[in-house]
Order: sequence, then structure tokens, then C-alpha cells
Amino acid sequence: MDISRPDQTGPRAASRVIVPLVILVLCAIAYYLTTTFDRVPPILKRGIQPSDFPQLVILLIAALALWLALRDREPAPPPLPATVYITMGLLIGFSVLALVDLFIALGAFAVAMSAIWGERRAWALALVGLVVPVAVFFLFDIVFEIRFPRGVLTNLWYG
Amino acid sequence: MDALLSGLVALADPELLLLIFAATLGGVLVGALPGLNATTGVALLLPFTITMEPIPAIAILITIYCAATFAGAITAILINTPGTSASATTCLDGYPLAQRGEAGRALGMAAVSSTIGGVVSIVCLMAAAPLLARAAYNFAPPEYFALTLFGLSMLATIGDGSPVKNIVAGAFGVLLATVGIDLLTTVERFTFGFNELSEGIGFVPVMIGVFGISELLVQASNLNVKRERITMKAIRLPSRADYRKTWKAILRSSGIGTFIGILPAEGATVASMIGYNEARRWSKTPEEFGKGSLEGIAGSEAANNSATGGAMVPTLALGIPGSPTAAVILAGLMVHGIRPGPTMFTEQSTFAFAIFWAMLLVNLMFFFIGLFGARLFARVTLVPVTILWPVVFTFSIVGAYALEQSMLDVWIAIGAGIIGYLMRRYGFSVVPLAIGLILGGMLETRLGQSMVMLDERWWLMFTRPLALFFFVLTALALFGPLIWGRVFAQRAPVQSTGE
Repeated sequence: MDISRPDQTGPRAASRVIVPLVILVLCAIAYYLTTTFDRVPPILKRGIQPSDFPQLVILLIAALALWLALRDREPAPPPLPATVYITMGLLIGFSVLALVDLFIALGAFAVAMSAIWGERRAWALALVGLVVPVAVFFLFDIVFEIRFPRGVLTNLWYG
Repeated sequence: MDALLSGLVALADPELLLLIFAATLGGVLVGALPGLNATTGVALLLPFTITMEPIPAIAILITIYCAATFAGAITAILINTPGTSASATTCLDGYPLAQRGEAGRALGMAAVSSTIGGVVSIVCLMAAAPLLARAAYNFAPPEYFALTLFGLSMLATIGDGSPVKNIVAGAFGVLLATVGIDLLTTVERFTFGFNELSEGIGFVPVMIGVFGISELLVQASNLNVKRERITMKAIRLPSRADYRKTWKAILRSSGIGTFIGILPAEGATVASMIGYNEARRWSKTPEEFGKGSLEGIAGSEAANNSATGGAMVPTLALGIPGSPTAAVILAGLMVHGIRPGPTMFTEQSTFAFAIFWAMLLVNLMFFFIGLFGARLFARVTLVPVTILWPVVFTFSIVGAYALEQSMLDVWIAIGAGIIGYLMRRYGFSVVPLAIGLILGGMLETRLGQSMVMLDERWWLMFTRPLALFFFVLTALALFGPLIWGRVFAQRAPVQSTGE
């Protein structure tokens, strides 16, 4: 088998088309959005209309995505391990839980991620899920005077 | 001369010196931890500097940059895993030497060549940056537009990815830079009703996302990788015979690294590869390369550290980042209200020279820290990922939030992390995205100003000699490798038949 020419069939070949296709769809959406931008009268436009530059960039990306779809022969990457999907899921879960309390979300994410990645020692889980978030909270709150969003836990400190 | 001295005086504050020492330790730690690198380290540390004055804040970021670039050699030599991508070529000879029980000798050579490379490049920086700034003082918008375009075109050549994919990623970064109110017309673009987006997408959350959180996902896919550390008694300075053998490689790579660093967007990784290859090409014993050659370590390490100084030349003098980490430092400068460019050496000369002196100091500090602390830092290379990455995540999120104190920035960081990971998985480097985001605003503003200046006759830009020069360089950066590739592809069979 000629190893210089990757497999042209099956899911691997499909991924080579899917990525440029996704880029093209995103370009189409972005281009549509640029058509909704306000236009300014010629006397105020200062060289170019607000939509001109983004449209130019979008067209460049679309043209290069087409080139990739037709010419790119890079082999598709191997399948993702389950831990990546789970970690991505945890990231999305973190984003939702952060609405309740940022530091509860940070602690929960750290413990869950560490455990899923194989950590079983209680002290290590306590370190990443409790000690570090609490230390970071007080470091930023007291030293850098950053006010975190109010939540179930942070309200205990802010009153 | 006054600026040189006033910069030195500004740095001669015990508190600041202590801060730089601590940052050097932190930078070495960041560089020694596999998965973390100078760019990620600087992006994560940036939010910690927001309440500081500009000189200590930027000095800390620069310190992390220099120290982490050096420290990548520690893991490269001891566990055959480059702490930073710039040390990948150091693995080739460092690890075989360590396997032969000469880890201390390899680290000694890495420390010496890194320091020499760093010092050479900073001397060049001190001389070249003000000259370049003076040359750029009379640039008009068309010249700046052409220069920025050239900086972006250099993205095609970075890393080992496809040039087309690099340009797509860079253009995506430029597109992200158009989010918010258009500065020329005050029209809102891509804000989706979020007031926080009116001022555009923040650099810091995107940097934290694409460099920090995307790396977390990369680590999630590499959990089965086992690392074994080679123990080492003590670091050993090179002998006189070692110096005799390597001094040419060190000096040559220092020059190469400085030059590569000055080129927009090219950083320490490209410099180390070219430095290593040139060291092998000019060596009297090329057969030793890959089996434990000291010249290989010297060539790689002198080049990657000298690229740090070189990269700061266009960053400070023109506002065009010379490397991925310099792009994050550029974002840091903007966050602190400092506008890099020609006026930096007239209006903020004390600041500029204080930063130069800080870089020089860091290079001397990490030499001694490397000599006396390498054994200690070697231990941190085996911190379990199950502890390291949850901690990195906590700092990433709090850092993303801290700058604007906005939860939207947290979600932008998470989104940028997932997008960054998917980009990396499908062969798109995230570095062009970051640089495109930083340069995008400048590119559009300069284009608009040029159009006003030239009465909307854009083709007149090609009649301006300096702008034309940069357009030619842009064309060479984009199409040069393609043409070269074709020329050499045609010639290769001729050479192989011995004609």
C-alpha cells in the first residue's frame, strides 16, 4: 500500500471534508450576520463600511476552506479517548454550575476531573477541590481586591 | 544613554528584584512541567499583574518567558519530554547523554548555551529595537498596514502545520478581532446584544482558553503516557574541551536565533530547529548528532533562548509580535495601557530599557538557578497530571474572570479552549489565532486610515516604496515555500542520480 497517500475512503476521508464544510457553514452564517450591520453614509464611512473588512476576511477563510476540501490530504486523527469527551462534558457542566457559584463549580470540576483521570487519593482530591480554590479565592479577593460574582458560597464571605 | 541608565535605575528596586527572582523560579517551574510552556505560563500569570505598575508587571511576564524557555531543557534532558516545544530538538541529544549517566553535563551545556544565547540577543535587542523604532517613526498608515499584513503572512510558516491551515486560523483570529464597536464608524458588530462585547473579545480569556484549557484537553487524551525520570547527581559546567568543541555552534545559533526571533511571528521553536540543523551541518562530527552530541544541545538551546530577545525587537519597536509568547506579552502591554511602537523609545524610554535590563538579569539568574536548582526542578517534572491540571484550570478560570470581572470572559475562555482543542486535533495551530486576534484590530484600522489618506484609491499603496517592499515580503512569505518546494522537488531526482 502506498503510505504517502492516506486512505481516501471511509470515516477518515469523511473527516477531511467535514472540517472544511463546517468552516464553510460558519462562514456563511458570519457573512449573513455582516449583512445585518448598520451602514454609514459616505460622508461618515472613513474609508470602508463596517461590514467590508469582516466580509473580506470571511471570503478569504471560505476560499481557503474550499482549497482544504479539495487539496488537503492529511490523515484524519485517531478516535478520541472517552476521557476527552467526559472532560469536555465537565467543562460544559462547569459553565452551567458557575451560574450558581463560581467556586462551587471550580471545586466540583477539579474533583470530578481529577477522579475521572484516575486520582484516588483523598488528600489529592481535597487539595485540588478544596484547598486550591479556597486559597485562590482569598489570594485574589484580599491581595488583588478582585470581587467575584455572588453565589451560594461567596455570599458567606461577602455577606 | 540617559534612557539606558534611567531604565537601570528603575530596575534597582529591591522589591522589584525580589519579584524578578521569584518570577524566574516560577518561570523555571513552568518550563520544567511537561504540558506547560512559556506562552501558557505568561497567559496564566498575566491576570496576576493587573494591579501592578507597568514595569514590574511586564518584567514578570518577560521573566517567565525567558526562564521557561530555558527550563524546557530540564525535562527534555531528564525525561525525554520537551517542557516547551522549543526544546524538542534538545531531547535528541540531551536524553541519550542522560541515559549514559551524563545528565549533569548535558544540563550544564544547556544552561551555558542558553545564557550566552540570551545575553547576545538582548544586546542586539538594546541596539536594534531603538534603531528599528526610529526607522518606523515616519511610517504612515499604508506602511503600517503592509507591515501588519507581512506579520500575519509569516503565520503561514510557523510550526509544522499546513501553511493554509495556519492562514485560516490567523484569519479566524482577525475575524474575532472585528467583534465589538468598529472604531472608525462606531457601528456594533457581532455583539449579539452583550454589552460586554462592545469593546471586543478580550485577549486574555482567549489566550487562556487556547493555550491553557485546550492543553488540558490534550492532556486528557494522553493520560496513558508514562514518564520515567533519569536521576542526576549534580549539574556540571562544561569542561574546556567542551567549550572548544561547542563555542562556534553556540555563537552561530545565537545569531540564528536572534534573527529568527526578529522575524514576525517566528519564535523559539523554529529557531531551535534551524539552530540544531545548522550545528549539525557545520559540525566535524555530525554522526554524533542524535546520539548525545553536546554541539546539538548547544545549537538548540542557544538558538531558542536567543529568539526570546529577538522576538521582543518587533514587539516593542513595531507592535508586531515576534513570537507566540511575545503576542501574549503584547496583550499584557495593551492591558497596562502601553502602546508599543516607535514612540516607545521616545515617550516611554525608561520603561523600555528597564524591560531590557530585566531580561539581561533574568538570563544571569536562570543560569545560577539552573546550576544549583536543576536537581530540585527535576523533581517537579513528575507532578501527577491529576493534581497539576485541576490546579491549572482553577488559575485559568480565575485569571480569565479577574481582568474585567466578567463571567462572560470565563465562558469565552471555556469556548476558546474547546475550539482551540478541536483546531489542534484537526491540524490547525492555535498560535495564528492568537496573533490574528491581536493584529486584527490594527490591520483594519490601518486599512481604513490608508483608504482615507489615499482617497479610497487602495492601489496607490503599491506606489509607496516601503509599503511595496512589505507587500513583496508578504508575497514571499505566502508563496515562497511553495515555489521553493517545487524548485527543489524538481531538482531532487537530478541530485539523487548523481548528475
